[in-house]
This record gives sequence, structure tokens and C-alpha cells, in this order.
Amino acid sequence: MAIATEPLPPPGWGLESIASLLEAFPRGQLSEIVGPRSAGGSSLLTALLARATAAGDLVALVDGPDTFDPAGAAAAGAELRSLCWVRGRGGRLDAACHAAELLARCGGFAWVALDLAADLTSPARTAPTFAPATWIRLQRAVRDTPTRLIVHASRHLAGSAAALVLAVERGPARWMGSPRPRRLDGLGSRVRVLRARPPAPTAGESGTEWKLAWRL
Amino acid sequence: MEARVAALRRLGCLLVPGFAAAAAVRAEPALAGQPLVVLDEARPGRLVLEVAAAARALGIAPGMTEAAALARSGGAICRERVAAHEAAAQSALLEVALAHSPRVEEGGPGEVYLDTAGLGALFGDEATLARRLAAATAAAGLPARVGIAGSRVAACLAARWGAGAERVPPEGDAAYLAPAPLALLGLPVEMARRLERWGLRTLGELAALPARELFERLGAEGPRLQALARGEDPRPLLPWRPPRRFEETRELDWAADNLEPLFALFAEMAGRVCARLEAEAVAADLFEWSCRVPVARGPGREVRGSFVPPVPTREAGAVMAVLRATLAAAPPAGAVTALTLRAQPVRVLAAQEPFEGEPRPSPRALAETIARVIGVVGAGNLGVPVLLDTHRPDAVRLEPLDALFRAAAPSGERRGPGEGGVLALRRLRPPRPAQVRLVGGRPVHLRSGGLMGPIVASAGPWRVSGEWWLESRWSADEWDVELADGTLGRLAHDGSAWVLEGVYD
Repeated sequence: MAIATEPLPPPGWGLESIASLLEAFPRGQLSEIVGPRSAGGSSLLTALLARATAAGDLVALVDGPDTFDPAGAAAAGAELRSLCWVRGRGGRLDAACHAAELLARCGGFAWVALDLAADLTSPARTAPTFAPATWIRLQRAVRDTPTRLIVHASRHLAGSAAALVLAVERGPARWMGSPRPRRLDGLGSRVRVLRARPPAPTAGESGTEWKLAWRL
Repeated sequence: MEARVAALRRLGCLLVPGFAAAAAVRAEPALAGQPLVVLDEARPGRLVLEVAAAARALGIAPGMTEAAALARSGGAICRERVAAHEAAAQSALLEVALAHSPRVEEGGPGEVYLDTAGLGALFGDEATLARRLAAATAAAGLPARVGIAGSRVAACLAARWGAGAERVPPEGDAAYLAPAPLALLGLPVEMARRLERWGLRTLGELAALPARELFERLGAEGPRLQALARGEDPRPLLPWRPPRRFEETRELDWAADNLEPLFALFAEMAGRVCARLEAEAVAADLFEWSCRVPVARGPGREVRGSFVPPVPTREAGAVMAVLRATLAAAPPAGAVTALTLRAQPVRVLAAQEPFEGEPRPSPRALAETIARVIGVVGAGNLGVPVLLDTHRPDAVRLEPLDALFRAAAPSGERRGPGEGGVLALRRLRPPRPAQVRLVGGRPVHLRSGGLMGPIVASAGPWRVSGEWWLESRWSADEWDVELADGTLGRLAHDGSAWVLEGVYD
């Protein structure tokens, strides 16, 4: 029996939505991307970084769990020469927060991304915890700068310090091949606005929900 | 007025013929008088670059291959050209010149000029000075020839043609050079033959030709050669200054056995070094430090280290942030009795910001921030990622952040948006060991760290391999898998064990 496969989205599907998302992140504010394992949060962050660097912006990525894949980012269109990669070797997420605070305060980067999703590749019980003052410090560091500070984590961490919180939910994985899968083709994601200081971003006709497709 | 100034000008030339061979002999004095052949390894065929007089007498000439030279005489002694030996010899030549005159110009390898005007009160007349210079260069291990004349060209030609320490009378350059052979100019073969066909043999004959007709026949090269033949060279001396050392050293009266006093001393030294860098309008792209730790016997052991700032800097605060982090991570093993901090200067050119787009951070502000970040995350954990030219998974290296500013070339060119929409892999570093159960050759269950569960879909194996001709060859079969809880991952089997390379997210 052949496995029923869904038709793939046409090339470029979802990219317009990414463009509108890019505009949604406010300057001088802390924003969050949250989502469980294999939901597409890292893909969304990579796509945003790719768009920003390709447009000529300087981007700093503080990679707390040291899981960033530069080759994948380059495949997504990122201009690696405009990317400052801070590797959080040793799993010290508090040091990553401190580094992101310094980079955000500098004001020289258009985007500072802080990846704290260490538990996406580890058991859920090892989810990191942070002092509440961490997020206030980060929010104050980026305030009055032209920088957009994005925190990526598996759950909402920053509380009221975040101006925008996007939740990424997992859609279906797409496998190609019959009668049994021969290739992983991609993944679908839904992005919802959990929290937004006005004005809330919109995704056109679908309101505050974006449907994105990630191709392997 | 100009003629009077020219008449007052006196220049000396220290010339070392066969400089590469002379430098080799200086480094290895036993080669003196031997049939030495210096080879240029950079040129294909290992061609002969220079030969000593004894080798020339054996029929060996520059341009031969090493094999041809050895075929002429098996007794020839071959040595490869060593840049460090030549640099040391050049430095010695400059030091001799500086010891006699404050104004010195470096003319090229084995060629140094010095302003000799007004040195009579110190060293006697010019003939004495010429002999003194020749003796000083010989004492430095170099067989230099000396010429003193009214222009740079005349001094150089006098050094080549003279007896070894030659002095040309003031305003007598043209007359002195007139009987010298044309070959002294070192003309290209074609030009030398052309002038020979015209019947010219000496510099004086070339100098006496009518300038207009010479220009009509040889173009601009004609008057230039004629000026050389007359010893005319109006170019002023371009003074050479010895490279400045940006270094501070502190000997301690007591032995510092904890880091805080060291930090305070290094901060003071960094402030002084950076102030000197600023006074010279340069920055440093390398800082080296050392601490002397006493040992039971002997003068002590030097603990050394260095760091490259993200961008060239002269900010003492940025230097100390990195130095503090470096020393805190690996403190000297023992009490310290002396400290040294050295900076390698580099001139930094200002770049104009593009008119369009986001303003870039100033290198100084960024350097300070990055230095503080290095203090937090450690050196070597920050930079611009560069993909290596290999298919090996996760082949990437970090480059210093000045690449960010090279990327910010002031062309103002902005690229269009990236393609986006690519499924990202979160790489586990190092890949995590996994236990995989297979059924029918396909993975059906995974256990790796906290990830565990049945595999509901899989695709593979995809063979990746490379560098099979090296010891570092690699090979693995990769699988994309989906667990029952929705986790998408990438497994790899290298022939002996399974690993989880990463998780798609």
C-alpha cells in the first residue's frame, strides 16, 4: 500500500510571511520565539538571521547551547561574514545572557539573537532556569538602541520584559517516497502571537497566525 | 637657489653586492671564500640566485638550475635563500648607517643611503668617513662598498665602480662618472645592445648626446638614462625610522603570588603601551605578555601568552578585559617576579560608512564590547563563522571579527533578502552516542540521552565520506528519523557506533 503523501507547498511558500514577521520585531525591545522540540523555532530564527544578514545588517548570535549550524544558515541565504557567532561552550547559559546583554548594550548590531533552547536537544527535565532580573537587565540593555533582541527558548521566559512573544507550533513533517519514506522533505510550522505590545503584527488575511514551511 | 641646495647635498651609499650570498656567509662564516651558490627555492627548478666569487670562477652563473651548477663543479656549496638571514643583514646595514648619520634611507636589499652633509666635525673628511663606513660594515659581517657623492645615483654608481670606499668631489658627479662603462647602469639587454650599436661605451658618451634627439629615438627613457649617466637625481632622501617597540616591562621587588596585583600592574602597563600607540596614530593587532616565575636554580621561567583583539585596538580597557580573562583562565603557576606586555603595531585606515543602510559600529566601540564578551565566554568562542572547503559535517572555523568590517566595505551594496525557509538542524557538539534498534536494516527505536522512543518514520542511509587519502578520512551513513513524540533527528553510523548528530527544529 502506498503511503499517502501530502502535496508539497510551491517553492517560496511561506516566505512572504517571514518578511512580515521580520518587520514585526520591534527595535530597542526584547522579543521571544518559543516552541517545543522540532516545532521549527530554530528554523524561524535562522530565516530571520538570513534575511537580516542578506540585507546587509550586522547580526550577533549568542548560541548558548552551541548548536547553531552555520552551513544550514548559509543554505538559508545567510551572509556569514555579517554574523558574529558567540559559542556558549560548557552550557553556561548565564554567561550567554551576560554576553547578549553586552552586545545589545553596544548598539552596533541590528539584531542580537540569544539562543537558550538547550533543552531542545536534552531531556525536558533539564530545562534551564533563570533569575527574573535577567530579563529586566536584557530589556534595559537593548532599550534606546536600534537593536532588535530576540530570545529563543522552548518556553516563555522573559515575562513582561518581552514586547513580542511568538509561539511556534509543530505542523506535519513531510516525507517523500513510496511505499515507504525515502527522504525527509520538510516541516510545517504555525506561528502565533502570544503577547504583543501594540501594535500587534498581523499576517494578512489569517490575522495573527502564520503558516510556514521549512524545506530540507 | 635650487642649484646651491643641490651643491650642498652630500649622500653616502652602502652597497652590498650579492646581498643574498653575503647574508648567507654572515649567518654561516665558514662559507667565506668558498664556492657558495645561493638557490631561490621559490622559482621552479631551484634556480641559482647568486654566486660567490669562487663559484663564479668555476663557471657557475645566476639563472642556472641547481643541477647545472653542480654539473659544472661538484665542489660548489649550495644554500637556499633564507629571508630571516637577509632581514638580519639588512638590519645590521641600517644600524651601521644610523650610527653615522641621523638621516638614513633604505634603498632596497643590501642598499642603504645616508645623509653625510655636516658629518665632517664628527668623522673627519669624506674620504675618512667612507673608509670608516666600509670598516664598520665589514665589522658587522658584510662586505659593503661605499660611495659618497652629491646625489643618490652618483653615490650608488661610485660604490659600484669605485675601489671600495669612494668619494666623489662636490659638483663633480658627472665628471667622475664620465669614464665609467655603460654596463654600470645595469641596463636591460636590449637597451644595452642598442646603445652599443650606436657606439656608446661610457656614461660620459651617453651624457654628451643631444637630449632632444635622444628623446626622439628612445622616448622618455632616453633623458632618464642620460640623467643617470650624469649622476643627476633630484629626489630628496626619504628618511627611514627604525620600527618602534611598544613594550613595557616591570621588575617586581616582591613576588606577586595572586592575580589581583598582576591585574593592577598589567593595567598600568597596558595604559602606557596604548598611550604610545595613540601617540603614533597606530593600533595593535597582537598583544604578547609574559610573566617570569622564579625557579630553584637559574634566572626563572617565562610564562608567555598572546591574544589577537577582535579588531586592532589601542584601548587599554579592551586589552585588560581580554588579558584579565586569559590570566584568570590559566594563571601563572607560581609567584611572579617580572611582567612584560608587548604590542604589535598596525596602521588602521578609516573606512567611510555607506550612505544607505544601518550604520556600522565603530571598530573601537565594538572592540571594547567584544573584549568584554571574550572575558565572559572565553577567547576562541567568538568570531565570524567560515565554512571550510570540505564535505565533512560541521566543518567550520571562527575568524577574527575584523571580517565584519571587511564585509562592511564602503560600497554600500545591499543584497536582496535571503532565500529562507530552510529546516534548521541543531547540531550536537560532539555528536551524542545513541542506541538504535534495527529491524530489516532500518532504525525502529532510538535512545540517546533524554531522547527515547519508537521511530515512526526514517529515511536513509545517506553515505557521506571524504578525505579517503588521508589519515583523517571519515565516512558515515546518515538517517533522518521521526520519533513518536514528533522529534525529528539525524542519526549517523560510522561503521562501529551510532550517534545522534542533531535535532531538526
